[in-house]
Amino acid sequence: MSATEAAPRVETPTIGVGRIGPIWMLAPALVLLIGFFALPYLTIITMSLREASTRAVYGEGFTLAHYTTALGDFYIWGILGRTLLMGAIVTVLTLLLGYPVAYHLANSRSRWTSLLYIFVLSPLLVGLVVRTFAWMIILSNNGVANKTLMTLGLINFPLQLMNNPLGVTIALTHVFLPFIILPLLGNLQAISPDLAMASRSLGASRMRTFLKVTLPLSLPGIQAGTILVFVLSISAYVTPAMLGGTGGRTMSVLVVQYLVDNFRWPAGAALAIIMAAVAVIIVGLYLKLTARAMRRLP
Amino acid sequence: MTALTIDRINKRYGNLHILKDISVPIAQGEFVSLLGPSGCGKTTTLRCIAGFERPDSGRILFGERDVTHALPEQRDIGMVFQSYALFPHMTVAENLSFGLEVRKVAPAERKRRIAEVLSMVRLQGYEARFPRELSGGQQQRVALARALVIEPSVLLLDEPLANLDATLRDEMRFFIRDLQQRVGITSIYVTHDQSEAMVMSDKIVVMNAGVISQFGTPRDIYERPASQTVAGFIGRSNTIAGKVTEALGADSYKIETPCGTIGTLGPRGLVRGADVRIMIRPESIQTRRHGEAANASTSDENVLGGSVVSSTYQGNATQLKVRLPSGDEMVVDVSGRNPLAVGEEVAMRFAARDAWLLAS
Repeated sequence: MSATEAAPRVETPTIGVGRIGPIWMLAPALVLLIGFFALPYLTIITMSLREASTRAVYGEGFTLAHYTTALGDFYIWGILGRTLLMGAIVTVLTLLLGYPVAYHLANSRSRWTSLLYIFVLSPLLVGLVVRTFAWMIILSNNGVANKTLMTLGLINFPLQLMNNPLGVTIALTHVFLPFIILPLLGNLQAISPDLAMASRSLGASRMRTFLKVTLPLSLPGIQAGTILVFVLSISAYVTPAMLGGTGGRTMSVLVVQYLVDNFRWPAGAALAIIMAAVAVIIVGLYLKLTARAMRRLP
Repeated sequence: MTALTIDRINKRYGNLHILKDISVPIAQGEFVSLLGPSGCGKTTTLRCIAGFERPDSGRILFGERDVTHALPEQRDIGMVFQSYALFPHMTVAENLSFGLEVRKVAPAERKRRIAEVLSMVRLQGYEARFPRELSGGQQQRVALARALVIEPSVLLLDEPLANLDATLRDEMRFFIRDLQQRVGITSIYVTHDQSEAMVMSDKIVVMNAGVISQFGTPRDIYERPASQTVAGFIGRSNTIAGKVTEALGADSYKIETPCGTIGTLGPRGLVRGADVRIMIRPESIQTRRHGEAANASTSDENVLGGSVVSSTYQGNATQLKVRLPSGDEMVVDVSGRNPLAVGEEVAMRFAARDAWLLAS
């Protein structure tokens, strides 16, 4: 047989797992995405471009007025800024509090580890409203925190711990801790313990080993966790609504106020779209920035 | 001069006694292997030397310096791991530079030493590569270079060849041994592979269940094993039970066995009447068809008769199993060209100096 002679070719079947199969398998996810993501967004975008009406949810014509009004309103800019700032603070706090916990969970071989695991997940095991009420009991003027501090003689008058951004920040930090611990834990557990041992054998202290080896290798976990917490924080509604008062009002609270209290659906929709757009831009920039820091990782 | 002293260290995890009174003196520039099955304590011993485990009692000395309670980073060790443990986010040069930066070596000197050690492991030009861009063998050489570039006082190797394929593993044995001798660094090598320990080491520590079964040169351990366990773990061996009938000089004995009297060497101090087992390696037995003329028999040669029960062709040799009149079976090697058929009567000859006594 000559070397150039080709073996008879078998036609690859195009039905089944061949070509049609994989596309078919996308269908359930596509239906979900289109039905629960794309369509609602389209509805809201359309609504935000409609004229206001006193008789129906929105009027006949199209207008950009809701956007120009919102963007020209310093009050709204203030609320947007506060929402983003609070989101950033909650993100940083959860990272600072969550990293040591994830690090400990990843490196511990103790039998108490599973107990700590449950402890970490505990904020998610209690309903949102119940959990927020618990925080109200703790943070209110004659609540647990203030009573304790006054009994100890550390303060003479109750501290203002809720109905302001502080209360919202505390409660959001608590509830979103698992969302940063879990991705970090997965990341840290995937780092071979041999790497830290190699670093120490080369003369690096624990601290240097952490800064030069463990921390850079855990950047993907930090990235995933911080994005998750930031996005969840800026879009949280129940916690700021219950604990924020007027001083701690966020964009989501304002949107609901527009829609439900003031019946200004198109203007509220415009606010929601502005908020979503800002979030997308920030997350996009953040991804770009962190990708630079992670470019050396495999 | 003793570069490293392990002095009666003990380690327990709960009820498990992992290391029992382990003592090993290691001379400057020596290559010592810790050999044993998994769970024998060899890796724990290495980790005690590195400082990742702290012994419950006993001491570890680097030269005169007691490092028992020193942190790993204070010990001046170089370590090579089975997983290579190269930093994945650093290039080859950065991996090598890591230990030098910790030691505050000036940049120009760092560069010179990195280039030097990379040429030693034959990886010049690979400075800018990431570990993931290298083959397993290359990664292992980088790991070796990273451990050597800091010029540590002791090199610790934890099964470094276990993840490589067979061909590369054979090549790397000689590569590591050759490099170690050129650098002259005291090295401790953990392995469960006896042939690896055999060809690489100056001395071998055979460990089993947390104790040292034997400490000696590869030749000692192969030819003069201290126990049946050691004999069984290193290479193939035959044993025949018997009793000491006569001591001829310090380490030479006559043994009464069901197959007749056999002359052997053995450890000093065995008394008449002691129960022993005679160990003979398959390759030191000359096997001929019964009645066939052999080389002139000498006075210290032993002859055992038996019949072939199985024959296994192995390419370079044929391995026979021969049943003795006592019922014991012996494994012997014969040349591949001259196989003896199953059922044939054979005579097996071996010199007294090739037989060794194990206390039974």
